[in-house]
Amino acid sequence: MRKRSKNRLRIFLYLLPTFFFLFFFTYFPYLSSFIDSFAERRGNLISFVGLKNYERMAFDSVFHTVLWNNFLYSILTVPLTMLFALGLALLLNRKIAGSAFYRTAFFYPTVIPMAAASMIWLYLFLPTYGIINRFITLWGGKSVEWVGDPQYAMISIVIVGIWKYVGYYMMIFLTALQAIPKSLLESAYLDGAGPVRRFGSIVLPMISSTSFFILIIAVINSFQAVDQVYLMTRGGPGNATNLMVYYIYQNAFSFWNFQYASTLTVFLVTLLLLITLFFFKVVEPRVYYESGET
Amino acid sequence: MDILRMKQMFRPKTLQTLLYHGVLIFCAFLIVFPFLWMLTSAFKTQSEIFHDIKFFPRAFHLDSFREVLSIIPFDKYFINTVKFVFGLLFVQFFTITFAAYAFARFRFPLKDLLFTLLLLQLMIAPQTLVVPNYIIIKNLKLLDTVTAISLPYVASAMGVFLLRQAFRSIPAEMEEAAVMDGASIEYYLFKIAIPLVKPSYTAFALVSINFHWNEFFWPLIVTDTVKSRVLTVGLAMFAESSESAAAWNDLMAATLLVAAPLVLLFLVFQKAFVESFMTTGLKA
Repeated sequence: MRKRSKNRLRIFLYLLPTFFFLFFFTYFPYLSSFIDSFAERRGNLISFVGLKNYERMAFDSVFHTVLWNNFLYSILTVPLTMLFALGLALLLNRKIAGSAFYRTAFFYPTVIPMAAASMIWLYLFLPTYGIINRFITLWGGKSVEWVGDPQYAMISIVIVGIWKYVGYYMMIFLTALQAIPKSLLESAYLDGAGPVRRFGSIVLPMISSTSFFILIIAVINSFQAVDQVYLMTRGGPGNATNLMVYYIYQNAFSFWNFQYASTLTVFLVTLLLLITLFFFKVVEPRVYYESGET
Repeated sequence: MDILRMKQMFRPKTLQTLLYHGVLIFCAFLIVFPFLWMLTSAFKTQSEIFHDIKFFPRAFHLDSFREVLSIIPFDKYFINTVKFVFGLLFVQFFTITFAAYAFARFRFPLKDLLFTLLLLQLMIAPQTLVVPNYIIIKNLKLLDTVTAISLPYVASAMGVFLLRQAFRSIPAEMEEAAVMDGASIEYYLFKIAIPLVKPSYTAFALVSINFHWNEFFWPLIVTDTVKSRVLTVGLAMFAESSESAAAWNDLMAATLLVAAPLVLLFLVFQKAFVESFMTTGLKA
């Protein structure tokens, strides 16, 4: 092995830039939010108030709504996006004419900025004049105020979330499906296993590590979704689509309460870390890995 | 169509294929239509937007583009975006290369812990830390600069992870041989190792470009004026302005201008794009 003393300085310098920026823009912010969460601002004075902000959070009914909304957003986007993605991947996982076209068609939203996607969908969702409402009225339905109706606003931002990510997840699933050895499926077929059995006993276990990866990314992302909330609904109507990051933003930059916003930040980051921990300690041990994969 | 071909068409196998295509075309339509509708609407007139539901405009008017370009300082936003995205990529090249090489080839105390700490960054997006990071940027007196937008992305866990894997795939003997011949590790790294893992760098570059070009919320928070705003933020500003009220053709033209550079890049380098995303996961 290498002479260690000679390399000590080198290793330090190699790691320094990454960890410097990691510390100052990821870890230190978390710490400073933590400290700010015990303070309150009166005029120009910032004073220590103990757990007051946390107490407020516990009884803040808007926060409860926001948390519930975010939970709903996750429950709606994550499974649906994954199911559609897997379905599309299964459809494309065969020799089929035009598969390159289909792949492009499904994948392209990945390169569209969420800001642009929000504008496009806002236009599609337009009351009365939007193309979706024109179709609905054409078929005899009643025009819907998509982003303006508390009943439909959440569905609207969910649709945009699914549209943006389904192609990307589809492509990851497809890569995993194509890595399954053909011989495995063939021998199962020869042993008389039907398509359902083959899917359940071979395909599903073989893509479970991929599914785990997508699941964790999708859940983590869903708790940090904000672009389409800001651009399409501003959290409204009446907080119906207010999600965690947007509520943090509101408290800091609309209500100018940085201390309460910091408290919410601490809550969200801690929640994300707990979700990650849960996934790796509880879910991952049940994930099937092929030998050789780590 | 002759009888034989018709018979072939209705064989179960062919019928199944047709069904497949039917489902696929329907899904493709659902996903592609929003973009196409935006595209054609950008060329429509105001009255066509509200009174026609034809897919194609009566004539391809460029008025909305002229209008948009006269209101939005698009060139400035474009330059800011390019500065942000490519300036950042340049800096990331160095940060990820050195950190990845250290994790791939050296032994040092707390290595696993440091690597875990690094990977945790993947779980926390910059928009989540807007409040504390805004305060930091404010204290650094960097508000409303392109540098401010870039700083939280300089350390890239995804990049380090990706390149660590790549460097580990190079046999250690190559480095030992180079060092034995009197070359420094840095010489070996830049002359031999980096060229060997070029595909990983390409993958990282494409994902990084895509991710940062599309970034919205953090740039929105730290920018205030045309001086530093990027395209996505400029689009939002235009959407909020009175000039765009009910002018959906203008808004779609602006949206098209913002989305077009990456969409074109994607269509040209499709294969490289898709492969990059496959090897890197989601974030940059």
